[in-house]
Order: sequence, then structure tokens, then C-alpha cells
Amino acid sequence: MRIQVNARNRGFEFDAQPGEQVLYAGLRSGIDLPYECASGTCGTCKAKLISGRVSDRWPQAPGKKYVRQAGEFLMCQCAAEEALTLEVSKFVYPVEPGACVPQRCAGTVREVRALTHDVMAFALELEGPRDFDAGQFVLLAAEGVPGFRAYSMCNYERGARRLEFVMKKKPDGGFSQWLFGEKREGARLQAFGPLGKATFDPALDKNLLCIAGGSGIAGMMSILARAEAADYFSRRQGWVFFGIRTMKDAFFLDELSRCKAQVTVALSEEDVPGSSAWPNLRFEKGLVHEVAKRTMAGRYQNVRAYVAGPPPAVDAAIRVLLLDAKLSTDNIRYDKFS
Amino acid sequence: MAKPMVCRVADVPENTLKECEVEGGLKLVVANAGGEFVGFQAMCPHQDVPLCEGLFDGQTLTCHMHLWQWDVRSGAPQGIAEAPLQRYPLVREGDALYLGGESTALDVGELFNGLSPSILEKLSSLAKKESHPGGALLYKPGDPAEDFYVLDSGRIEFLVGRGAAPGGFMLRKGEVFGWAALLDGYPARIASARCVEDSSVLRINGRAALGVLEGDPACGFVVMRRLSALIARFLAGAGAK
Repeated sequence: MRIQVNARNRGFEFDAQPGEQVLYAGLRSGIDLPYECASGTCGTCKAKLISGRVSDRWPQAPGKKYVRQAGEFLMCQCAAEEALTLEVSKFVYPVEPGACVPQRCAGTVREVRALTHDVMAFALELEGPRDFDAGQFVLLAAEGVPGFRAYSMCNYERGARRLEFVMKKKPDGGFSQWLFGEKREGARLQAFGPLGKATFDPALDKNLLCIAGGSGIAGMMSILARAEAADYFSRRQGWVFFGIRTMKDAFFLDELSRCKAQVTVALSEEDVPGSSAWPNLRFEKGLVHEVAKRTMAGRYQNVRAYVAGPPPAVDAAIRVLLLDAKLSTDNIRYDKFS
Repeated sequence: MAKPMVCRVADVPENTLKECEVEGGLKLVVANAGGEFVGFQAMCPHQDVPLCEGLFDGQTLTCHMHLWQWDVRSGAPQGIAEAPLQRYPLVREGDALYLGGESTALDVGELFNGLSPSILEKLSSLAKKESHPGGALLYKPGDPAEDFYVLDSGRIEFLVGRGAAPGGFMLRKGEVFGWAALLDGYPARIASARCVEDSSVLRINGRAALGVLEGDPACGFVVMRRLSALIARFLAGAGAK
């Protein structure tokens, strides 16, 4: 089905498969349509229907609260029923040359293991090699579980045949309940990606500041792996702030302890342990954005910041980075899944 | 008619924001920028997010949703923001702030906002207000290019060249089109402009406007710099944001 998108600067045309979400069809055609979560929560991919008909795969999506006017819809949840013309109130450009264009693919679940009482790690074994940038995410769906959910890769390599993820158990999360539910080793998953603009490349050549709440540490692990492979911290500084509630919510501490950046674990609901098995890690009491603010005061020269985690934690960290650190918006990269 | 009251001065401490509703239902945000009070639109021009929830340091406002930024005094977009803020002039009388009227398309506009009041007054005396129904073609390539336009309300589709369709550039309030009228050596239109919906525009003779700007070269230089940036935006391709 033919889809025409009129952006503020110019128009684009592309084809969508029956039932395929408009956003995914546009992105895999190399058109950088606006999105953040690509999974129905943020509202960033809102568009206005000029002609044609769409079907909404998830009418109760949280991102619908940003859809207020007649004819508006979320491109990540709606599929074309016939040829469409729609309007996007942003500047849209073709995907930059050399960027990883997202595609649909499938994989097999491997190495499911518990990291804490409510966080699991698993890997997706792909049928063929895929490229992605450090800090990107993919959308995953299991057969019989409606809807895609967004998960950041924890690993980094070119031509990856395995994608590694962490997942927090959520009381009402269909996919997380599915994974936590039974033995899922060997199950098939549908994936779409890579997605996301909170990416890191060593050519950046700036000091790195990573602020993560809970499972938001996933994308930071990928960024740190990329940096490590390029021996980045021999010429640039790095600071990682990992926010958790208590020590029983901690994971990846062995991996973080081997990292050449300065890593601080912020405990929001528990005092700092008297001694720990990780002499290279700093432990501080407080919310992660407050601990980062205390530690980073006066150290924001030539910094690029990455932020990920629950939306309230991300918002609080962005507030610190804008108002205290005075970073330019270009140097604040974030993912805000909920 | 009495000016509508917006809020008390004490309601908006220094370097904070407050959303206010004026009699008649108009909502706006009042910012106290280091003791100076400025009023502007309540919703982000990007995606209907309340700007009173934004981050404000006394000068720059950042919408928390996608980090669009503006200088609140001028309404000028900064960083990744793609549209200016519509401002509402405020008048202080005693311990209260009143609405001084709605800012015109010229004040809001990317080309002229923040210029000296005397220049804005001269330009606005040259402006003729016109209304056009949805679907109306204002001009097409080859038409004489004597006047330029500032969009006041409605929406205009602007397309450089003769049919690099589909779709053109979708303009908003305050945006300028027909700028060939401000360029030497372009007596004819190089683009087309069509109303997507019922629209009103300010129409200004290019030569007369250049005459006004020549009387104040400092302002004229600012306008020409902004005009070159505006034209470059139409030419920009991938990665040239």
C-alpha cells in the first residue's frame, strides 16, 4: 500500500505491507520519521491523516494521551487499510548514509537467567548477522503476546549474531510476564530494529557521562563495550552512575567493576555497604540524578551525556544536565521507555 | 474595554513560570525572566505539551518532552527547536499583569522578531492583510515576485521549483514565504504557495521593506542573516539539520 508523508520540509513516498505499522514501513524504507519509543508510550510519532483509513493495533496505548485532535494517530501503532496521505509536523530527512536501517527479523531465545529477584537476562540468537550502533534498541514480540516492547542491547559488535538484553519484571507487562512465566529457552521472537538515537561512536571524542536507572543500564553496557573495544578511556574520561533501590537490586557489578570509567552505584533506599566485593566501584546513598549532580559538579567540560531508565528518573537527570551542567541539548541523549 | 488581567506579579517569583488563564479562555504562560515578565503560548508548538512543565533557568525555556528550547524574551527557537514561541505582550500596572494585546505575525515571525519597535512599526504599516480560502493558489513559478508574505493564520504549502512533489514545505504562523521579492535579480517566483486551509497573510512589498531596512543597517543585517539561514533550510538534505 502506498503511503505519502508530507513533512514540514518535503514529501516522501513508501510502501507498507498489509497490517504493517506506518512507522516501521517508513523507517525500513530509509525515511527517518519522528519516533522515540516506537512502542506506543511516548506520542512522538504522532501524525495527521489527510486521506485514507488506518486501523489502530493498540487503541489504549499510553501515548494516545498526546493525540487530541481529529484525524491524529500514532504511526507506531497504526497500519494502513488503504493508500494513505498523512502529515507530520516535523522536519524529516532520509536516514543518514551509513546508519543502520531497521528491518524485521526473527530469533531464538537463549541463556535466560535471573540477575536479581525481578530482573532477567536473555539473549536472542539471530538467523544472520546484524549491525547496530552502541546504545540502540530493538522491538521484540513473542507469538501470541500482542504488541512490540522496546529493549536496549547490552552487547556491542559489528555483524552481531546474538543480541543480549535485560528485562525487568512488570506486574502488567505482557511480554515480561511471558518471559518470566515458564521456561522460554528456544522460543521464537519477532524483532524490529535497530532503533534509537542515543548512540555512541568513538569518533565523538568527548568525555562520557552515563546516568542509568535500573534496567536502563542495558544501553550503557553496550556503549561501554564499544568504548572499551576502542580503548576510549585512555584518552577521554568516563563516569557511570547506576541507580538502584537496594543492593538486592544490583546486577552487572562485576562487569562494571572491570570498566575503565569511574562507576558509582547510587542506592536510593539503603545505606552504603560498609565493605563490598567491588573495590573499583563507588557506592553512594541517594537518587541517581542527585548523586551524579554531587559528583559531577565542575566536571562538565566537553561532556556528552547518555540517560536511560524509568521516565521520572530520566526527566530528573535531564533537568540536572540542562540547568546545572548547562549542556546543550545536542549533548544529552536519552531513551525514555516506560 | 479594560485590558484583561493575567495574574498578580507575586504569583510568578523570579526565574519561574506559571500558566494563566485569561478571561475569555485564552491560556498563556508567564515567565519571570530576571524581573522582566514575558507571556507566550501555553502549549509547545511541537506536540501539545504544556510549557509550564518545562525547565526554565531565567532565560532559556526547555520543553521537557523533546528538549525544544527558546529564548523567552524573543521567543526565538534555539538548539533543535523548529518553531518560534508566539508571545503575548504584558503590561504591568501596580502589582498585577495585564494582556497588552496579541502579538502580530510580524513580531512572532522568524525574520523580524526582536527588531527595534520603530522598524517593526514601519514594516507593519506596509503590510496589507489578506484572507484566502483553502485550496487557493497564491502564486506559482514564473509569476512576478514583487511582494513577500508572512503567514498570520491557517496553513500554507510552499514548494520550491515546479513539481518536486509529493508535498511541499508546510508553513506556520510567522513564517515568511515569497522571499524572492527580497532578493536582487529574481523578478519572478521560483516556488509555489497554496493555502491548505482558510488562511490569512500579511502581504508586504519587497522593495518598500528593503527601503525600511536600509534606513537601519544593523537591523537590516540581522534580517539578511536570518533570510540566508531560512533559504539554506529549504536546500538542506540529510544530516544538514
